[in-house]
Amino acid sequence: MSEAKKIVIPCSGIGKAFGTVSREATYQLTETGHQEEYRTVCLPLLVAGNQDAIDLLKKSKVYTIDGCPKKCATLSVERTGIDVTMEVMIPKVLAKNTDHKPGTVRDIGPNGVFLAKDIVNIILEEGSD
Amino acid sequence: MSELPKVGIISCSGEDCPGGNISREATLKVLHDLRPEETATICLPLFLAGGEGERGFAKRFPTITVDGCGKLCAAIGTTRFSNKPSVEINLEDYPDFSTLKTEEKWHIQESSSNLVEKLATDIANHVDKIRNTSE
Repeated sequence: MSEAKKIVIPCSGIGKAFGTVSREATYQLTETGHQEEYRTVCLPLLVAGNQDAIDLLKKSKVYTIDGCPKKCATLSVERTGIDVTMEVMIPKVLAKNTDHKPGTVRDIGPNGVFLAKDIVNIILEEGSD
Repeated sequence: MSELPKVGIISCSGEDCPGGNISREATLKVLHDLRPEETATICLPLFLAGGEGERGFAKRFPTITVDGCGKLCAAIGTTRFSNKPSVEINLEDYPDFSTLKTEEKWHIQESSSNLVEKLATDIANHVDKIRNTSE
């Protein structure tokens, strides 16, 4: 695993559109223009107790994106003993711009992509050094 | 049909793994299209983030895990926190996966879509077998 300063971890919730939005936001950050600064780590690696992933997170700023109050991404990071630098709760982001209500878990549609962009902007603005 | 137990399908999400999108997409296809009445799911991270209720998932349901790479996070996480899966699927065991270009793994395109279909069909067949042996 390569070194990285900032790790963004989405919940990827499989039951709700917000889970897919969290992935879309992550890929917007890590693939489109910000890949030098941000990368992601598979959240399931933490569930499986992968030590390499835990060690990488310990050396990084960690940004989590959660789609529901169960906060899987945030809690999964915290339960490995790592502090989360910033957590983004998608319903709260949507509440500020209700026009960006996503479609379904399988197709979030253009509004879902816009919502993901809202999340990216929050992380870039509030998570900047 | 409703007398038989539902089968739990737990997919890795593989955000940093090229097989993650394919395993997730195939799982969703089974849950929504192929066996919607016969299956259930849980977000894998809930095993770590959730409580005893979530951790009992694989005790309540016979379970199929669907992993996008050989790290087998879904199988290991499910076993670690809940119960041993009835079936463990690893996308890397599919020869078609290794022949995909990197871009086709990361983003579902025509060739990777074919693999999604194949994987989903296999998952659905496992669902049927598990339910039939429960009769």
